[in-house]
Amino acid sequence: MSAAPILQVRNLRAAFRTHHFGVRRDVPAVDDISFDVRANEIYGLAGESSSGKTTLIKTIAGVIKPPLELVGGSARFAFLPDCESLAQASPAAVAAIRWSKLAYIMQGSMNVLNPVRRIGKTFEDFALRHIGSAGDFQQRVEAHLQRVRLEPSVLRSYPHELSGGMRQRVTIALATICAPDFIIADEPTTALDVIVQKDVLAMMRDIQGAMGASILFVTHDMGVHAALTDRLGIMYAGRLVEEAPTDVIFRGALHPYTRHLIASLPRIGDRSERKSLTGVPPNLANAPPGCRFHPRCPLAVDICRVQAPAMTELATQHRVACHVVTGEAA
Amino acid sequence: MTAVDDVSFSMVADAPEVLTIIGESGSGKSTLARMILGIHAPSSGRIVFEGEEVSARVARDRHAFMAKVQPIFQNPFESFNPLKKLDRYLFMTAERFGRAGRGNVERVCDEALGAVGLSLAEVRGRFPHELSGGQLQRAAIARALVSRPRLIVADEPVSMVDASLRMSIVNLFSRLKREFGLTIIYITHDLATAYHISDRLIIMRRGQIVETGEARGVLSAPKHPYSQMLKDAVLTPDSAGIFRSSVQSRL
Repeated sequence: MSAAPILQVRNLRAAFRTHHFGVRRDVPAVDDISFDVRANEIYGLAGESSSGKTTLIKTIAGVIKPPLELVGGSARFAFLPDCESLAQASPAAVAAIRWSKLAYIMQGSMNVLNPVRRIGKTFEDFALRHIGSAGDFQQRVEAHLQRVRLEPSVLRSYPHELSGGMRQRVTIALATICAPDFIIADEPTTALDVIVQKDVLAMMRDIQGAMGASILFVTHDMGVHAALTDRLGIMYAGRLVEEAPTDVIFRGALHPYTRHLIASLPRIGDRSERKSLTGVPPNLANAPPGCRFHPRCPLAVDICRVQAPAMTELATQHRVACHVVTGEAA
Repeated sequence: MTAVDDVSFSMVADAPEVLTIIGESGSGKSTLARMILGIHAPSSGRIVFEGEEVSARVARDRHAFMAKVQPIFQNPFESFNPLKKLDRYLFMTAERFGRAGRGNVERVCDEALGAVGLSLAEVRGRFPHELSGGQLQRAAIARALVSRPRLIVADEPVSMVDASLRMSIVNLFSRLKREFGLTIIYITHDLATAYHISDRLIIMRRGQIVETGEARGVLSAPKHPYSQMLKDAVLTPDSAGIFRSSVQSRL
């Protein structure tokens, strides 16, 4: 693993702010998050729905529209070292790195393809400005499609003529054609069948390995994280609560939420009772004080109710935000 | 186009069970569910409920049939009208199915909510968006219980529910089977939860049953090549690094 991170996120905060009918609502969906993504690794982000995963990567990618606002902190890419965050970069700077350095595979990405444009045209829209001449371009696209095991004939197809798995491969080919340094993937396989999903994930790993890109991979599916990612960050209610190499998270998670999340996963071959946590994830418009997990936490003590725990590195590469766990370790 | 092709199975009235139907999208599992619910009529073949063909029974008295066979759908946020308060749904269901007059409607609904771990106090006056996905799916199950059904057809009931709450819904189905003698048809593509709660299992592909049998037996040692492929494709915490090694060996 190389030393310099390709993405440095420091104390990033973003909130949904609305002001309607005299009522101010402030929903801190991304709250003081810091982590690094290194070159040539797949970093996974896990968490339940409304834990802020998608908001976090939108903030990182600079896709910030009201009511979402960047409140503070930075998300710095190695290929744009002078820029605190993409949201503040000039349009020209963003246009220069978009797709050539940074690609984004969006949630439900089977539906991002323009339904009235042939796939080949979509490739031109996305990538032609970044790669060579028109003649050369066609060849490069066809060669690249082979990597994702698609026939050149799909370039003449419309999206509706392709199956879900094929469309997903097209979007992955789109995202990787310019050999970007960094790929953001938001639940790229959630809508796919398990068999197709396994195929697509294996392919993403192959391409990532061959191109040496980094991927920030977001999904709530812990099985996918186990199979694919190198390191894993666990989010709960807008905060990062634990981060470690993926196998460490599955073998020896420390945070009570992570431990519970993993223990609750059903497995074939093991029929012992699975318990779910009591309570529900908090509403961030009215988040509990202190540690946001404390109302559901079996280990909660007094300090958890008043003071938010900081991420503390307890072992090499293993950070946890929990008063009880860090207290015992100290 | 044939969505469900020559499917046969039966469930015994006095032996409540959880029967799971598994298959990829487009395998016809939802179409099968809709035929069991009497929403679609089969093009050929028969679906018989309590000795009478479903389509005939629905034609005769749809209402009485609905009281006995209740659905639970995938996305609770779509199955409830966002502008209608939840307690109204429960009260209306109780009144329509003749379970309650004005006097005891609240008690009937409170009992149904109690069976799923909620209470009337928790949902009274609240709109669907005020509950979490897990709570709302419980409320949907409670609504289905109000009419005292014998059969529940649950079409992907946990795919929209958060991971940490998913097992609580799945466990709830086991409990309803045990405590109320309910027969449950659980439709899913998730083999792991199916392993946990089902007694019997049907694996479908392209409208046909490819394998069926006792759930643990089938999932532990699937015989049909498609079932084996399905089981192999399930990613679990134990599949750590399966793609990593494949890359490294190639390099």
